[in-house]
This record gives sequence, structure tokens and C-alpha cells, in this order.
Amino acid sequence: MLAALLADSSGQALAHASAWAVFAVGAAMILTGALGVVLLRNPVHCALMLVITLFGIALEFIDQSADFLAAVQIIVYAGAVVILFLFVIMFLGVDRKEAISAEPTRFQRPLAVLLGVVALVEILALSRIDHWSAGTPSQSGALSGPGSNVQKLGQAIYTGYLLPFEMTAALLVIAVVAAVVLSRRHQPSASEMSELDQEELLSARRFTPPDQGDQS
Amino acid sequence: MVQYLPILLLIVLVALFAGGSAAGSRALGPKRPTAAKQGPYESGIAPRFGPAARFPVRFYLVAMIFIIFDIEVIFLYPWAVMYHQLSTFGLAEMAAFAVVVFIAFAYLVSNGALDWGPRQRRGGRAPVQLARSTTSSVRRVPRPVELVNGVAPRPLDSPPGARPAPAEAPNPYDQPVKSA
Amino acid sequence: MGSDPLFANGLNLAVWLILLGKVLVIFLIVLLSVLFMVMYERKAVAYLGVRYGPNRAGPKGWLQSLADGTKLLFKEAFTPRNADKAVYKAAPYLMLVPIMVAFSIVPIGGRITIAHHTTELQLADPQWGILFLLMTSGLAVYGVILAGWASGSKYPLLGSVRASAQMVSYEAVLGLTTATVVLVTGSLSTSTIVAAQSGHWSFVHWNLIHTAVIPFILFSIAITAEMTRAPFDLVEAEEELSGGYNLEYSSIDFAWFYLAEYAALVTNSAIIVTLWFGGPNGPTIDGHSVGPLWFTVKVLVVLYIFVWIRATLPRFRYDQLMDLGWKRLIPASLIMLMVVAGFQATSTSGGNGAGHWLAQREWGLAAVGGAFVLGALLWRAIDVGRQASEVEEARESRLSLERES
Repeated sequence: MLAALLADSSGQALAHASAWAVFAVGAAMILTGALGVVLLRNPVHCALMLVITLFGIALEFIDQSADFLAAVQIIVYAGAVVILFLFVIMFLGVDRKEAISAEPTRFQRPLAVLLGVVALVEILALSRIDHWSAGTPSQSGALSGPGSNVQKLGQAIYTGYLLPFEMTAALLVIAVVAAVVLSRRHQPSASEMSELDQEELLSARRFTPPDQGDQS
Repeated sequence: MVQYLPILLLIVLVALFAGGSAAGSRALGPKRPTAAKQGPYESGIAPRFGPAARFPVRFYLVAMIFIIFDIEVIFLYPWAVMYHQLSTFGLAEMAAFAVVVFIAFAYLVSNGALDWGPRQRRGGRAPVQLARSTTSSVRRVPRPVELVNGVAPRPLDSPPGARPAPAEAPNPYDQPVKSA
Repeated sequence: MGSDPLFANGLNLAVWLILLGKVLVIFLIVLLSVLFMVMYERKAVAYLGVRYGPNRAGPKGWLQSLADGTKLLFKEAFTPRNADKAVYKAAPYLMLVPIMVAFSIVPIGGRITIAHHTTELQLADPQWGILFLLMTSGLAVYGVILAGWASGSKYPLLGSVRASAQMVSYEAVLGLTTATVVLVTGSLSTSTIVAAQSGHWSFVHWNLIHTAVIPFILFSIAITAEMTRAPFDLVEAEEELSGGYNLEYSSIDFAWFYLAEYAALVTNSAIIVTLWFGGPNGPTIDGHSVGPLWFTVKVLVVLYIFVWIRATLPRFRYDQLMDLGWKRLIPASLIMLMVVAGFQATSTSGGNGAGHWLAQREWGLAAVGGAFVLGALLWRAIDVGRQASEVEEARESRLSLERES
């Protein structure tokens, strides 16, 4: 194949060959990463393996000419979500090796096997039935017409899919509120500050600390 | 896809360079490991505890909120590219989105979720906080009597009783605590 | 857009050679500019502090950084006992690679023809080029956080926690202000962004002017914090952390961190020039276009400003840093984006130049008004938040006292 690349080959064959190469590399990265996530014992290593999977997915997006989505994949998932995972793993002190012999929930393992089989059958069935899930590019003609990938995406989101977009804002609000409620303890806002709180605040202002000296 | 070829080549080149110089360093550098050298560096003091296992939840909250803003920013890019076609309609729809996110942000701020460290208060001296808490990892220490009253510090070797009596107007912050 | 004329006729041997040459040149530019930058900074800081600076190695000391790098190569590379070996060794590379690659989207200026093959003086021009900035700043967090964690030592971990939270906090500002540029230009491709800033009287067309300066200032603050440079260099606060996340690194591994730090400085300055100062645009000399010259001059000026800031400003405290990032810069950049959008909306759909200028900018003025309302809301929110934490603090203080007595 290297010879084919170096030789003055026609663009069509070259594009075909490189598309296959990118797909193969991406698929290999996805599978390696996924296996690593499952098999490695150290949670931090697992998170890093997840990053490899995400990069593989970004490669597949590029293979499908969805360049903008590839960039988003890396920025949002690798650059933010897995960082959050790492924060949680490292900062909450769970970065030790897990004892996996203990089963947190009963029937977890048989259930996992069952769900895995169902998912596999589902994927295979979908790829037999429909073309869009088989990953054939441009079957639906999405990239036809002028304009770049980003422009098409923008056109779609901000005209045809405006309502889902605005609902995303609501989702983000819910996420903000949930994060605050879950991670902060009781936190009165000024409007609901009761008289007791006011008193407490004032008494704390008046409060005098113990002497650090030793004259007692 | 051929446009990504240079990037791929650059990654390969950087990797080769990094690998080569790592190998060079291994070949050229000495190998004399000692126990002290391989221990954690704490300015010469032998560590007695491992690194902290837990950190304030605030760091986690920052990462969480960052994801939310990251998603908003990502939505902004296709919009910004298409803005000249969408014009005032685009302005209105993004304004609606941004205002909703902004209000969520204002809620966050009004909750004190993004406050770090000691507070700056308007007017008056801050109450001295006596314990570390989740809102502050900084423990403020009351001012020593000597500094407040302008008396020279007691020499280190003098007995505790030899300390001069405080001046007639003691600082209220240095009074002993009333029974709680 | 996004297609280099080099690839117009497919790949043959000559194209491959030119491509390899370009890659090598970009790589060497980054490497040599790092060597240069280390000395540039040390010299400039020295002169600002009325000192000589390094002046022994080579002519006027300009080979000092090369000598330092070579010395590091001969140092012992050991792994701490508590370290997570694989991650510890990988962290410096995770930091270096994205930053080195980011330079490939910077247009250096114009086109060049080698052996009948015309090519852009830019390594790669993907249609989402400027997202590379967000990508690299997102991925740089990995190097920091993993280096600190894998060292298995207290201070590096503390340093990396601080650094990663800081980088994450300022990334949103970076994204929002960059979106302002994209809004004005209507493209994510760096070459289009530069092309949109060209014209007679070049600097009038700079995005700096088109976006009303404020987004540029916010962007510069954010990118300084993103690189954890002074005055946001709490990461390497020697007084508190003895060294920061790379404390346990030695030899070539430490050199990578150093290299990555300065490569980020050079690359980000180049991106600042691309985004806000028209990249390689500038007046021609004797009818020749001298893009690379203007580009270099602009980058040097920006680099000097970074050095100047470092030599001048004292370090922020951590809570001040977080307050600045979250409560000032993020709202300000979001509001600025909407204001710029408002003014842009009129300039496309607006009138034909007749009438009062205010009458044509009603959307922009509406945006400014909305900005004031939102700013007031935020002001109130900050106040309320302060009170809320004050109450909580007071209660905890009291509880702990009761527990003690």
C-alpha cells in the first residue's frame, strides 16, 4: 500500500485506500481502549483508555467527513468529560485498585452478560436492516450541496432543529442546579435567610475568639 | 482527508524526536538510584504521610460547571459561522439560549458555589474563623497580643509568666472566649 | 477552503518531499523559537530588573538555553518509588505533542512555489482550524493532572489540582472570545480568518478593532491563565508547593515540560496574532509581499508583552484567580459576544448609510441594554452569594467552637 501511496496513483483509489486505513486504525483504537477500560484494574488507567476510545471515535468521524464533530468529540469528551472523571477518581480518593471479587448488586454479572448480548444482536440487526447505521458515507446525501460541514450543521441546528437546541439550554440549567444541590450542603440564599440566620450572622460578627496566649 | 496528512506526519515526527531523546538520555545519563533520591521530595523532610486522598468538592464542581460552559461554547461555533445568514433571527435564538444559561450561572454565583477562600466583606472587620471548613481552606489566626498592643514579642526562652500585662485597652479579638 | 493547492494533483514523490520538508520546517521553527524564547524572556526580565541576565554561553549568552537543554540530557532520569510508572513516563509527552501540533494551523504568510508545486505557508488548514486552540488547551490539562497524580507525592498533586482547575476555568473564556472572532469572520478556518482581516490600511481590518478590543483583552488574560504564566503561575508557587506538578521530574522528562511550556507560549502568541492582529497581513515592501516578516514582528511584540507582564505583575491569590475567571471574565465575554452579535446583525441587514447612525444600530443598542440588565443581575448574584457563604461560614465557625468547648 505504501507503494501505491508513493506512486502517482489516481485520487479515487487513494481516497478509498486511505479511508479504509483511517477506519481500521480508528476501529483498532476504539476496541483497544474499550478493552482497556474493562480489563485494567487502576481507575486512572481505565480513564486514559477511555480517552483512546474517544480519539478512535473522532477518527471515525473524520472518516465520515464529519470533521466538526470530530473536533467536538475531542473537545467535549476528551477535553472535559474525562477530565471530570479524572477529577472524581483522583480527588475523591478512589484511585486505588478495586476489589472486583465483591459484587455490589446481586445478579449484576449475569445481567451484564445478558445486556451485552442484547446490545450486540441489536447492532448486528440494525446493520443488516438499514444503511445509515452501517456507516456508509453520504448515502443520505447529507454532504451534497455547497457549504462546509460546519455551515450545514449550523443551518440544521438553528433553523430545522431550533426547539431541541433551546431545550438544551433547559438541560444545562438542570445540570447546573443538580450539580449545586448535590455537591453543596445546606446553603440559604439571602432571600430565604431566616431570622435565625440573621441572628447567627450578627452574633458571629460580634463574636470574640479565644486568646491564643497562655495567661489562663 | 488528505489535508490531515501533514498533522499526522508532524505527530510522528514529534513522537520520533521525543522517543529519540528519551533513549539518548537513558544512554547518556548516569544510573545511581538511592532511596532518598527516589522518595517523595518534601524539601528534605522525610514524609510521614502519603498525599491527600481527598480534595474539596469545589474542584469537582468546577469541572462539572466547566462541562456545561464547554457545551454552550461548542453550540456557539456553528451559530457564529452561520450568523450572517441567520442575522436577527440568529441573534434572537442565541440570545434566548444565552440568557437562560446566564440565569443558571447567576443562580450558581448567588449560591456561593463559586466562592473560594476568604470573603471580602463590605465594611467592618471580618469575623475570625476558627476552623477550617468546606468554604475555606484558609485558617485565619487572630492577631497576637503583642502586635496589637505594640509590645515587643516575648523572648523565646523566657517563662510564660514573664509576659508583660496587656495594655489598658485590649483588642476585643484577643479576649478569652465566653462559655459556649 | 481547507484545500492546499499542493494536493490538487494527488500525491506523488515531489509532493511527499515538499510535505516532509514543511513538517520539518514547522517542527524546527517551534523548537528553535523555544530555545530563543527562553533566552528572550530571561534577557528581557533581567533588563527590566536592571541586571545583565545570562551572558556566558555563546555570543552574549544566547546559547544558554541550548546549554541547559544539553545538560539535562546528561542528568539521571529516575522514577520515584511511589510513582505510577507508565503514567509518570507518559505525562510529559501528553503535554508536548498537542502543543507542538497546534502550531500547524497557524498561517505564516502567503504561498510559496517549489518546483512547480504551489503550497500554503501553513501546515494544515482544516475547516475547523481554530478549534485546535480549544483542543490543545483541553488536552494540555492531561499532562498537568497526570504528572501530578503519577508522581505519588504531596506537592505535585496539590500543584496539579490547582493547575487543572485553573486551566479548566479559563478555557470557557477562551472559547467564548474565540467565538466572537468566528462571529465576525464567519469561518473557523484560520486562513479565512486571516484573509478577512486583510485590506488597505491593514490594521483597521484587524479583528482587534472589529470586535471592539474588549474580547481581545479577555482572551489574552484567559490564555495567560491557561498557560499558567505569571501573574497566574500559582502552579509553580515555590513558597507553597516547592515546585508544582513537575517537581518529581528530572532529566529529559523535565525538559519536556519546560519545552512544552515555552512551545505553548510561542504557539499561543502566534494564534493571538492570527486571531486579532491580522496574522501575516501588512504593507508590502517594494511590491513584494513579506508576510512571514510581519508575522514574526507581530509575534515578537506579543511575546514581549507576555514577558513584560511577567516581570511586572505580582502573583494572584487562588481565590482571586477563580473569582476573576468565573465571576468576571466568563460573564463579560458572554455579554461581549452578544453585544458584538447585535452590532453585526445591523451591519448586514441595516440600512444603506442614510439616516442617523443610531437608527441603524438598534439591535446592537438593544444588546448593550440587555448586557446592562444582565450585568446588574450578576452583580446582585455575587452579593447574595457572598452573604450566603458568610452565613454558612459563621455557622460552621460557631459549630466548631461548640465542639471544642
